[in-house]
Amino acid sequence: MTILEIQHINKSFGKKIILKDINLQIESSSIIALVGANGAGKTTLINIILNLIPQTSGQIKFLTNDNWKQITGVMMQDNIVLHRITVKEIISLTRSYFDKPLSYEELLNISGLKDHQNNLMTGLSGGQKRRLAFALALAGNPEILFLDEPTVGMDSNARNDFWQEIDRLKKSGKTIFVTSHYLEELENIADRFLILQNSTIAFDGTIKQLRSREGQSLIEFDSELNQIDFENLSNIISINLVGHHFQIITNDVNQLVTELTPYLKAIDNLQVKQSTLDTLLLNYEENNHE
Amino acid sequence: MNKFIFQTKINFKRIVLRNKAFFFFDMLLPIVFYILYTKILVSNVPASYLKVWNEDYLVSMMIYACMLGGIITTANTLLEDEMSNFKLFVTLSPLSNFQYYGSMAIVLITLNLVSSIALTAIAMIVNHVSISIRLLFELISINLLGTILLILIGVLISFARKPNTVNLLTNLVVFPLAILSGLWWPINIMPTWLQNIGKVMPTYQLSVIDKNILHQTTQHIGPFINLLIWSFIIFLILFIVNKIQKEKGLVTQ
Repeated sequence: MTILEIQHINKSFGKKIILKDINLQIESSSIIALVGANGAGKTTLINIILNLIPQTSGQIKFLTNDNWKQITGVMMQDNIVLHRITVKEIISLTRSYFDKPLSYEELLNISGLKDHQNNLMTGLSGGQKRRLAFALALAGNPEILFLDEPTVGMDSNARNDFWQEIDRLKKSGKTIFVTSHYLEELENIADRFLILQNSTIAFDGTIKQLRSREGQSLIEFDSELNQIDFENLSNIISINLVGHHFQIITNDVNQLVTELTPYLKAIDNLQVKQSTLDTLLLNYEENNHE
Repeated sequence: MNKFIFQTKINFKRIVLRNKAFFFFDMLLPIVFYILYTKILVSNVPASYLKVWNEDYLVSMMIYACMLGGIITTANTLLEDEMSNFKLFVTLSPLSNFQYYGSMAIVLITLNLVSSIALTAIAMIVNHVSISIRLLFELISINLLGTILLILIGVLISFARKPNTVNLLTNLVVFPLAILSGLWWPINIMPTWLQNIGKVMPTYQLSVIDKNILHQTTQHIGPFINLLIWSFIIFLILFIVNKIQKEKGLVTQ
């Protein structure tokens, strides 16, 4: 079911074009990762969706509820730290904004601040503030959740817990729209990747599709053979030899492994490494740079 | 409605009850000024003149308290909300701007009500100023209406969005406005050209209305029209600045 439709969004600041004819349909029960280089327009797109800045043209439609604020939860990059207000008070205040909020206890559990509920918000650590921001984003039991750099300031345990919670939310039917600089985290969790480049959505698909389109894999092995023995194999991008250790970058790992079969007796410690999202994104940007 | 009541309750806690700066600036400062200028720094003044001075200075300090609450506290609270990301948080929530600003206005108007009552109590105790409940009610009512204009000025200043600029602007507005309007010392001791500027100020006109109430003299329409014109001008500037900043993606209002 489509929950959000973005139609022909354009945004310019003066003569500078930030977004050009953005069209998207966001389905429910999915995790969508919006990635791209700094300044690509990610924040502008999110701000337009959330009605924080006006678009130059185009339409944003939340399809399941006329009052879109009742069905969205937002965790922005910067924490909210209200002075002279306790954790308990901010959770209760946020709950009061919504028609069908999650229970206070549930939100307290999500925030992990049961022992700090009477503490002032200003006294919380960076990680605690982040977890509280996440709980507040969920206060209205939203259908769609916008997360902008959600794990900044969290330690590795907290990050793991956070992404597990996101996975649980997805399974319970929530839609999650996320941007993050920690691409390795998105790689494991997102169903769909949107690459924003040159003011447009340059790629829209799964990580598998991105790999098959942009993917370069690294094959490593040890061998007494010479570099020249492998240079005629197909789909090789580069060969690097250090001592007897070969590193071959290919854009078709299956084909190359097949072609290496006759050499297997002369090869030890064969390893195939897939490209990370970081590398894929970098390749994508290099290959598609205007 | 529930969210509006809750928001107002939270605003009371953070702006008034748990805010030491509020007690000092909005409550104590006008009281200290009142005692200073009617009891300590006054000498060799005829009793009949002193009686009028004590009453008029009560009006002046009531308006001054409204300025501190309406302009300084409003600007600082809104700035604090901007800096702490609470304004953005509210903008993204189902709470409307009307409810957000409305709940804040209720708190600030109540704050000024408390300041006015405290000042009157001090004036009665220290200087034996006699004021009927009806006159006090009229005075406070008109001052609270004037507070709305002062709150609009506070909102406008908060649009500067930087602590240093907001502090500078509040000081540049509040203190000259208080002096020019004759709130600290009588306007007639200033040069004529300065008096002419002072008499156009909304706070001077508010003091004229208040003094007419207090001395039960005839009210004229002029001061009321002056306040309406100022309200319209400030509201218009607010509207334009907000529109420009929103276009630039600078504000969340």
